[in-house]
Amino acid sequence: MRKFINADALQRALEQKGWTQAKLADEVGVSSQSVTNWVQGEGFPRPAALLKLATSLRLSFDELVNTETQSLPIVAFRKKGSAKTTDAHIKKACEIGMLLKPLVPFLPEMHALRTLITSPSTDYNKLQLAVSQTRSRLGIGDNAVLHYEQLIGEFSENGAILVPVLWGAKGNHENAMHIRLPEEDVTFIFVNLDTHAEDFKFWMAHELAHVFTPELAGKTKGEDFADAFAGALLFPQSCAELAYTELSRKRTTNAEIDILRRYAHTHSISLNTVFQQVREFAKNTGLPFLKIDETAIHKVRNKFSGPLVSEALFDPLPPTPKQYIANAENVFRSDFFFALKQMIVKRGTEAGYLQQVLDLSIGDAIAMREDLLS
Amino acid sequence: MLGVKFGQKEYVLTILKITEDEVYRSPRLKHNYPWFSNPEHVEERLSKQVKLKKDEKAIIEIAKGVFRQHVVENAANYKTPPSPVDCYILAFGQVRPAIVVTDDLSMHQLAKEFGLDKQVWHGHELLHKMLSGKYIDKQLVSDIYDALENNGDLPKSWRNVKHTAFKKIFGPQKET
Repeated sequence: MRKFINADALQRALEQKGWTQAKLADEVGVSSQSVTNWVQGEGFPRPAALLKLATSLRLSFDELVNTETQSLPIVAFRKKGSAKTTDAHIKKACEIGMLLKPLVPFLPEMHALRTLITSPSTDYNKLQLAVSQTRSRLGIGDNAVLHYEQLIGEFSENGAILVPVLWGAKGNHENAMHIRLPEEDVTFIFVNLDTHAEDFKFWMAHELAHVFTPELAGKTKGEDFADAFAGALLFPQSCAELAYTELSRKRTTNAEIDILRRYAHTHSISLNTVFQQVREFAKNTGLPFLKIDETAIHKVRNKFSGPLVSEALFDPLPPTPKQYIANAENVFRSDFFFALKQMIVKRGTEAGYLQQVLDLSIGDAIAMREDLLS
Repeated sequence: MLGVKFGQKEYVLTILKITEDEVYRSPRLKHNYPWFSNPEHVEERLSKQVKLKKDEKAIIEIAKGVFRQHVVENAANYKTPPSPVDCYILAFGQVRPAIVVTDDLSMHQLAKEFGLDKQVWHGHELLHKMLSGKYIDKQLVSDIYDALENNGDLPKSWRNVKHTAFKKIFGPQKET
């Protein structure tokens, strides 16, 4: 990881304090030449000097140091409803990304050939083409119901490691967290199983879009594409056309809602996804739109939320570490816990590592480590 | 025992609030150490807590950030990467002359990497200092060792010095 002292920030801090570089060198306990070298981008202070430099100049690590971005994790969140992403969320996710780097050598060999959407676009026709080809890859037709189990294989085929987690249905900021390590060419996708089934499938499809478009990772354009791709993949044009034909014969909004709900139920997706896709279809084919509006859809949606994925997978909750790990490996085909076990055995990695990378309580981390070693 | 000076250097024991919060956040720690929530102990800890000025808090945050960044960049070198709370505790020593007492070997490793190894002690080092400062007696040292051994919690570093640093209490190592 190549790092450089941010010379501009350092100079500004010196000016603010009225210090010379010689005075700074004295404070830090190094030679003036060392400070000159750092400012010129030659060499980097050792840990003790860096600490003194930061505390003397009152500069945080991020202000004082420039790091080559290709070695840094790229993070993205699938947030809960109104949750706001703060710098603290991003910082924590980046730290988890850095902590995951030592795990990468313990992962099984990744596929070198991967699926890429080379010109990702939210244009309706281009999106439908990408979706149709993806469905074809998965071996299902345009009208078929897509199950999230069918998406799972695509992740491991494309260098992405799924990490199912139980982060709770309330209080947590994110429902999915995407951490790409560009240098290692690996993506970790943490998916919260304490999520309603109909939303879960959308997030899985959304994350798959990120995997197919690594160059857009962490960018707004990438998020917009992933949202558009997920909706279209779960309920493509031909499904939307069928639904629209039925809907156009109805006279009332209640009758429209019944049809939308039936399609949502059949495809195990949210009412909103069906609504949005039908609306997009109407807009792009120049047809008049439905009577029902978005506000009404959200009211109905909140009233008829289905069970959580965790409730469907584990009965009773919470699962034992053994059940949880077996589920991750068998249902989600995740190599995460296999790699973790190798790391524990070969490096003696302790529970504190599991606690930090999986955001667990120390008790759960200890229990999980014990199970991995048993 | 908190807030009372002992030894030639007049050491004073204190528990940082962040450590207190860590215990309360963890059901396991709360369960394993129920005495921690004893009102008498809580009151003693709170009354002896260190009050920090705004500038000191800012320096601690900066130092914590530098420690934590070092940890995550070198995560492969630690069996347990020191947590943000661990980094905060170490950073406290940047604003107050403080010794961190911990049996977490990763904390010792981190301190060493920053040339701060003299500022981090193992629990047994504190015990020894308290004993030689006549702040505690031999019986208490023996009782603490017994309790840790009976709970299966005796750290390896404590076991290693049992018959050297505390030879007067436990005698020399018996040959096997």
